[in-house]
Amino acid sequence: MSAIRRFLRVPEATAGAFILALLLAMALLAPLLFPGDPQAIAGAPLLPPFHDWSLPLGTDRLGRDVLAELFHGARTSLAVGLAAAAAALLIGAVVGTLAGFAGGLVDEVLMRVTDAFQTVPGFLLALAFVSVVGPSLGVVVAAIALGTWTGPARVARAEVLSIRERDYVAGARVIGMHPLEIAFREILPNALPPVLALSSVIVAAAILTEAALSFLGLGDPNRVTWGGMIAEGRTVLRTAPFLSIVPGIALVLTVLGVYLAGEGVVETTATRRGLS
Amino acid sequence: MNGPLLAVSGLSKHYRRAGKMVAAADDVAFDIQPGQTLALAGPSGSGKSTIARLVLRLIEPDAGNIRFEDADFLALGGAALRARRARLQMVFQDPLAAFNPRATVARVLDDPLRIHGIAERSERPRRIAALLERVGLPTELAQRAIHEISGGQRQRVAIARAIATKPSLIVLDEAVSALDVSVRGKILELLLDLQREEGIAYLFISHDLGVVRAIAHRVAILDGGRIAESGDARAVIDVPRSAIGKALVAAAPKLPAPARTAS
Ligand SMILES: Nc1ncnc2c1ncn2[C@@H]1O[C@H](COP(=O)(O)OP(=O)(O)OP(=O)(O)O)[C@@H](O)[C@H]1O
Ligand SMILES: [Mg+2]
Repeated sequence: MSAIRRFLRVPEATAGAFILALLLAMALLAPLLFPGDPQAIAGAPLLPPFHDWSLPLGTDRLGRDVLAELFHGARTSLAVGLAAAAAALLIGAVVGTLAGFAGGLVDEVLMRVTDAFQTVPGFLLALAFVSVVGPSLGVVVAAIALGTWTGPARVARAEVLSIRERDYVAGARVIGMHPLEIAFREILPNALPPVLALSSVIVAAAILTEAALSFLGLGDPNRVTWGGMIAEGRTVLRTAPFLSIVPGIALVLTVLGVYLAGEGVVETTATRRGLS
Repeated sequence: MNGPLLAVSGLSKHYRRAGKMVAAADDVAFDIQPGQTLALAGPSGSGKSTIARLVLRLIEPDAGNIRFEDADFLALGGAALRARRARLQMVFQDPLAAFNPRATVARVLDDPLRIHGIAERSERPRRIAALLERVGLPTELAQRAIHEISGGQRQRVAIARAIATKPSLIVLDEAVSALDVSVRGKILELLLDLQREEGIAYLFISHDLGVVRAIAHRVAILDGGRIAESGDARAVIDVPRSAIGKALVAAAPKLPAPARTAS
């Protein structure tokens, strides 16, 4: 309770939380407010915004409702962003914990693999992965996670290296606990806070990567995505710029909201630690 | 068992510091009989904690032998070592650092019971309550977080955890040094009690010769990783022969009357 109040005292956190709440509402309400296929034709093509109140944001090149697409696109962006970030954090935490706790050869091998992934730009990796496996929501999530787990892995490893020297880890060995239980039950939960601090940056990056993939036509073809909408609008950029601008603004606001809320959480926990 | 409970010989451990090798333990040898207390005393950096960690297989020696309960303790590995650990427990100096900061008292005591299959899940809460009672703590403490109890209570929990698996030897590395004097006396009494009733042997590490004289049967005085002298605790502390022993006794505050009655 008091943590929430402290969080809301940070102005940028409040702004971020507000944007995220709005986005979440859009994602959850999309099927209620705009039932049916958002990719179905709803009216005359290229209707400009604010002309017809049954189609407030107008229609695109094929006559699809832009507002409906925007709402359904929020679902995709959020789902992919959160799922990819969760996968990246999970893989990173597990790899980092194993490397840091096991040490020696295991550490060496895992960290060389991490290096290898890190030297290839994440977007290129995602691009290659999706082009080979084929575009679907799950593949896009996996592709994005593939390029972002290395950061969490490094942070987790560094944290585990310091924790494993603590007395309580020696205590766990003395009572005969299995090394895997020590690593994942005793050490990992205590190594998580700095790893989770990365999540806002990762979610924001994942949302942008998903948009970029969709822009290049590598998103899930059965779903509306903001990146796909921008790509669609590009062909009529001169005559109907709003078709690219509307989803563009949504994308920028989302990334900003995630980032601000994340900063707010970090700041709140930092002041709490400073107080205690 | 016909030999000593623990027999250590030729135990050595070197660390490289600034390019030079430092002997943290150098050809150390000692025995502990069942139900007896051997104290390790010595100045800071003399290798006391290193020896404790070697005996517990938390670090590996460069050379030496450790026989525990008539078996080569250094030959054990993996599951066999983990199983044998039930018989050889430890209590740390800082009772806060010795527990997972997220743990509750119940979980701390549940772990050894579960790992060594000492009690079924349904029976464990009763076992935990019994352990808490055995170390003089109220059973309601079980639901508290480790950081929600006092330092003295925490050290009692550490002792409860150490005796949960019915060990024959407990290593105590400065286990009472962080406690204030009144609490320290009570914990020492508890340790003597447990020894009398369960026949547990202690490897008791302390720089406080007053405490050593009160609790230990025998003492080994360390200097630079080597045992400078050893023998009956009172005899050594009353009339030290080594230079380091004399210096430690001279530096110690006036020794209190012995608590252990001659037996
Ligand atoms: N991991 C390590 N790396 C390098 N040197 C070490 C390490 N552990 C211990 N040493 C060195 O070994 C020697 C013995 O250390 P140890 O901790 O056993 O001393 P101690 O008798 O327990 O001291 P104290 O009374 O201060 O606890 C010291 O010189 C110490 O600096
Ligand atoms: Mg020490």
